[in-house]
Amino acid sequence: MQISRNHRTNQTFLQIKPGLFLSAILIVLLAMGGCVQPKHTAVDSAQRMLPMVNNPHLPEVIIALINQSDEQYFKHDLSAALATLERAVRIDPRLPEVWSRMAQVYLDQGKLEQARQHAKRSNSVLKNNMALKDFNDNIISGKPMESSN
Amino acid sequence: MTHSKPKSTPKTKPRQKYSKKEYSKKKSSKKTPPNKKRAKKKPPNKKKNNKAKKNSVSLSRILFNRYSLLGLFVLSIIFSGYLFYLNIKITDKMSGRIWSLPSHVYARPLELYQGKYLTVQQLQSELKQLEYTQVKNRPTKAGQFRVLNNAHFEIISRDFTFWDGQQKSQGIRLSIVNNKLSALHKLYSDESLALFRLDPVKIAGIYPATQQERQLIKLDEVPDDLVLALLAVEDRRFYQHWGIDPRSILRALLANVVAGGTVQGGSTLTQQLVKNLFLSPERTLTRKINEALMALLVEINYDKSVILETYINEVYLGQNGAQQIHGFELASQYYFASSLKKLRRDQMALLVGLVKGPSWYAPRRHKTRAVERRNQVLKLMLERGALSQAQFNKYRALDLGLANKPRFSSNRFPALIELVKRQLQSDYDEDDLKSSGLNVFTSIDPQIQAQAEASVLRVISQLEKSNNKVENLQTAFIVASSQQGEIQAMVSDRQPSFPGFNRSLDAVRQIGSLIKPAIYLTALQQPQNYTLASVLDDSPLHIKTTRDDTWSPQNYDKKFSGNILLHKALEKSRNVPTVRLGLEVGLADISDALQNLGVTRNIPAYPSMTLGAFNLSPFDVANMYQTFAANGFNVPLKVIREVLNKEGRPLKRYPLKSNKAIDEKAIYLINHSLHQVTQTGTAKSLAKNLPLTVAGKTGTTDDLRDSWFAGFTNEQLAVVWIGRDDNTSTGLTGSSGALRLWTDFFQRQEDNGGINSFSLEPPAGINKVWIDEKTGGLSEKNCLGAVELPFIQGSEPTEKAACKSAGIIEQIKRFFK
Repeated sequence: MQISRNHRTNQTFLQIKPGLFLSAILIVLLAMGGCVQPKHTAVDSAQRMLPMVNNPHLPEVIIALINQSDEQYFKHDLSAALATLERAVRIDPRLPEVWSRMAQVYLDQGKLEQARQHAKRSNSVLKNNMALKDFNDNIISGKPMESSN
Repeated sequence: MTHSKPKSTPKTKPRQKYSKKEYSKKKSSKKTPPNKKRAKKKPPNKKKNNKAKKNSVSLSRILFNRYSLLGLFVLSIIFSGYLFYLNIKITDKMSGRIWSLPSHVYARPLELYQGKYLTVQQLQSELKQLEYTQVKNRPTKAGQFRVLNNAHFEIISRDFTFWDGQQKSQGIRLSIVNNKLSALHKLYSDESLALFRLDPVKIAGIYPATQQERQLIKLDEVPDDLVLALLAVEDRRFYQHWGIDPRSILRALLANVVAGGTVQGGSTLTQQLVKNLFLSPERTLTRKINEALMALLVEINYDKSVILETYINEVYLGQNGAQQIHGFELASQYYFASSLKKLRRDQMALLVGLVKGPSWYAPRRHKTRAVERRNQVLKLMLERGALSQAQFNKYRALDLGLANKPRFSSNRFPALIELVKRQLQSDYDEDDLKSSGLNVFTSIDPQIQAQAEASVLRVISQLEKSNNKVENLQTAFIVASSQQGEIQAMVSDRQPSFPGFNRSLDAVRQIGSLIKPAIYLTALQQPQNYTLASVLDDSPLHIKTTRDDTWSPQNYDKKFSGNILLHKALEKSRNVPTVRLGLEVGLADISDALQNLGVTRNIPAYPSMTLGAFNLSPFDVANMYQTFAANGFNVPLKVIREVLNKEGRPLKRYPLKSNKAIDEKAIYLINHSLHQVTQTGTAKSLAKNLPLTVAGKTGTTDDLRDSWFAGFTNEQLAVVWIGRDDNTSTGLTGSSGALRLWTDFFQRQEDNGGINSFSLEPPAGINKVWIDEKTGGLSEKNCLGAVELPFIQGSEPTEKAACKSAGIIEQIKRFFK
């Protein structure tokens, strides 16, 4: 009895609702695509966007924290990347490289106003680093650079 | 009870339920008129009486049989329902979150890296607060450290879950030379480390209304002797009974009758647990019945080991101020500053003895009673074979062995924790905060807090001692990081650990001259109209406020200096030129500037606002001055960095948010002047008392009611208010009161490791020009009365002032400057 009832159910499912089944698969695939697609974009843009650190006077501790935050950034853990950069700011708030990175992470999070604000903070402590100034100015003006390298 | 029911039931029950015969009998009886019914009660003769009796008996038997069964059935349904309800109540609590877990608040983690300002004492203090154990030989376990030659540390950190994941225990070694961390390596290795983050100090808990702290312990970690003593004293037949124990009840009853009062309780551990977890403490029959029913249900639902473990973690064992001590592990920490596992058997006996009456036997208050009770428990342990006679004799002669001080205090930093709570309340409701076991990571720095508290204690009493008229002073003191706006320390009472009125947050007082930088900033944001060299009028001023009223502001020294340059008026905190300037630039614009600086309160636009005749709290003032300290970037002050749930999973981060609302060039001009305040102005005592470049402003209100100082470096901002709760005169100006406390704190900061000076490096777009101090015209370095001032590019004066050569001594002085 049980087997035949199950059999009947399966038959009904396959016979009557294949369209619904296929639609559901399609919706799931689209949803997955929707979730995954922006992440790929974020990776690509991230790899293009992070400014070079070419300040030979950066303390070892700051370099270590920047590297750690970059690692988190490329793993799309933007919140952790920001938290790590804040640790660097606490140690020395006068380093434009750190503020610019924070601006970039905010940009990737879609928080444009905070991205601009942090780019301004970078500019406020910046000296003679035109590449970084361009980077910041582009964020402030709402036109992020295609590539900083 | 069972008989009354059937008698009344027929009136309410449907007739169909009767058999035909019964129904006819019932019907006939019903037809009987009332007087006949009464007559029935007094039978005319015996025969009739017997017949009637027979009828009545058979009727009641039938009714009893039928309706008593029905009644019993209904009762049993109701009773089952009630049991079901009780069972749900029990399983809900015992299978879910039995206890409200308080949220725990952590200080900032100490970051260790080469070049960090750090003294040996500070690191030792940090490790002590973390409860790391100092060892003489090489540390081998997590949570141990040793110090060599008072400079080299070897530390094995503990595992800790931060926002960015778990940090495993690691061995490190480091050296401190001249108050700086000079080298950081892995322990027993030459591999250097760029950075190491110590686990943060837990500084407080946010408790439920019942103020219950918890330190849970698993049953297999509980010493056998404690379990044995507990069962010997409280429930000998724990493993034999089903939640209630009639034998114990009888024994207790007998003992109580013999003693003529309550000397023994018959409650089992399960009953006690049920009482503590689910029931109110009153002694009523209903509660007793509920207790027994629930105890049975608990026994049906749970294993004995679960019941015992729950009891051990639940039982109430004392009071620490407002905080209740629940569970043996926490009680062990509270009374002996040790974990339960490490206790001696006499100490365990004391804890077990306390179950009977934690207040009556409170060991710190009633030592004799406590010793007596402990010895009773020891005797029971002896009887149960847990102790030998020799051990019993030894233990009963011992002192209670209490720790001098509780290892934890309910709340060491009440003002700060209040701030933490308020900032959390926007994201979490009160109940979650007090019961979900959140882990709250903050920017609180225990070292800085300790220095702030020490400065408050020392300076407030000094101020009162040095002036007989000054008494009952109160204070609020806030320290924050300048660039991130993170609160590091806060004191809201002259007794810093007193948890009363939070003056830092809630004492809204007139700010006096602390307003002035906002007015001058409003002016300097118009470089075409105002510069530091603008000439202001410091002559008598009369402002008509109403038809009959005139306001005539005065300078603090009651004198007028005629013409005065704008920068000088700010540095010397001259009132009259400030009022004139404020009215010129417009009160509305000043309100806007205050908003841009981070002041969120509504400020009334009256002329007297230009002299700070409006109320702000010290916290508001700190928000305002943070914007100066961070060169025009307003960062709303915050104390929370991250929140993790009780399992250590990230819940919410409170990121650094900046808002640049003020041009950095205008801010620089103000900061330049605020630095001059500390050199030649109202806070010039700082120039000789503090070897640091700082900027700041004094504030004094009418009748010397409030004494303020707000000052900063690039790293740190501190605001001090000193006043009296009844708002009467303190006899102190900003310089003679608040500034002294501020100076003491920064001196201490400087001595204990040091902080960097305030940077006076101008931003792009600022030119420095020599001008004549009297006229504000262009001058030259070697001219008499010349002073170098910064100007926003394009706003420099163009008219030249007459130059009289400065004397050779003056020129030499300037050369060295």
